[in-house]
Amino acid sequence: MPSVMSRTWESLEEFEAFLDDGGIVEVDDAMPDEYRQAVFAFIEMHANSELMGGLTERDWIPKTPGLRHKMSVLAKTQDEIGHGHLLYMVAADMGVKTRTEMLEDLFAGRSRFHNVFHYQAKTWGDQVAIAFLVDAAALASQQAVFKNCSYGPYRRILKRIISEEGFHMRLGEDRMMRIAQGTEKQRALFQDSLDRWFWPALQLFGPDSKPNDVLLKWHIKSERNEVLRSRWVQKFVPMLHSYGFTIPAPDLRYDEEAKQWDVGPIDWEPLKATLAQGGPDSARRIGEALDNWQRTAWVRSALESAPESGPEKTGNPSPVPA
Amino acid sequence: MAIYEVFLKKDGRDEFRHAGALDAANDELAFVMARESYARRAEGDRLWLVERSNVLVADAEFVAPNADKPHRHHDGAAVAARRKSIREQADIADDSESQ
Repeated sequence: MPSVMSRTWESLEEFEAFLDDGGIVEVDDAMPDEYRQAVFAFIEMHANSELMGGLTERDWIPKTPGLRHKMSVLAKTQDEIGHGHLLYMVAADMGVKTRTEMLEDLFAGRSRFHNVFHYQAKTWGDQVAIAFLVDAAALASQQAVFKNCSYGPYRRILKRIISEEGFHMRLGEDRMMRIAQGTEKQRALFQDSLDRWFWPALQLFGPDSKPNDVLLKWHIKSERNEVLRSRWVQKFVPMLHSYGFTIPAPDLRYDEEAKQWDVGPIDWEPLKATLAQGGPDSARRIGEALDNWQRTAWVRSALESAPESGPEKTGNPSPVPA
Repeated sequence: MAIYEVFLKKDGRDEFRHAGALDAANDELAFVMARESYARRAEGDRLWLVERSNVLVADAEFVAPNADKPHRHHDGAAVAARRKSIREQADIADDSESQ
């Protein structure tokens, strides 16, 4: 009896026909190498982003105002780091890089993470803007992957991640509503954050998808970048207006014919800079993450020398409930 | 004889799910038993067997602390209440316009 099941395909065309037919790829399938590399790179970037996002969130635990908000930041930090763990597991299982290799590449600035984590969160208003605008953008992207993802292990993990990101988004709007109903000073604080975070959040979706985007062709993404971006704009522009804030887009207009908001031309240079680790806060972020990794080396070495479970531990006498 | 826990996965989007258990003389016979007992009508096309003695079971008391962490949830009630009140005000405005 084979311990590993494996499906194989004669050619890339045959594999693509399988994907077009709604086929779901499992870790032990003999998937074409192009597909393995592309899916791995996508999951690795997602994992890196969860970790870098979690570290930012952690920085705010001591600075968060009030016990209620502080507890929610604790919960959110645990969620983000947890997502990183789940995703690094799925990525490592693909056999391209080990978890340690992925982390070392991240901390050496050799791999990518989302643009929004290349900026500094300076005020509590920034944290509110991140939870409200950025988490919503990330959630929309993840939902579009979850909808029709051809790689089974990633899709199943996304189910859990999305439900927790939903908690973050509700938290974000709740924080935003409270700050909007606050004093003039509080409103000005959030407006200042909105002015700095609106464009990075919008750029998270990336430039328009290329016609030959393999992630679309291989059913990893189910929506084009520009479609997701526009949907986010249609939702958040009126919502921010309803709270009495202004959008930092001088060319913003409502297209009566298309019945939708148009933010005007988008400058993609800041996004390109972040992808080359040249964002405003990239060096500090990566440096702190590396420092954190080095300072926790003793934990990893202690775990490596932990005694293995003896037979009295693994031989569990209690029956599994039916 | 050993007791095996049976996990089945339908091809496609589902995860592996616990289907039940069986007892068998060895791994090879356990696979046949599992197929004939749990997958007679294509209930799945991937099958895992785990010997029950290898399953680690956590005490309920160990799991319990995570049952009471309301700050890990957010019901969005305050935001929903604001939206409702905006909708109601819009309805009142509509009514007064149509009169």
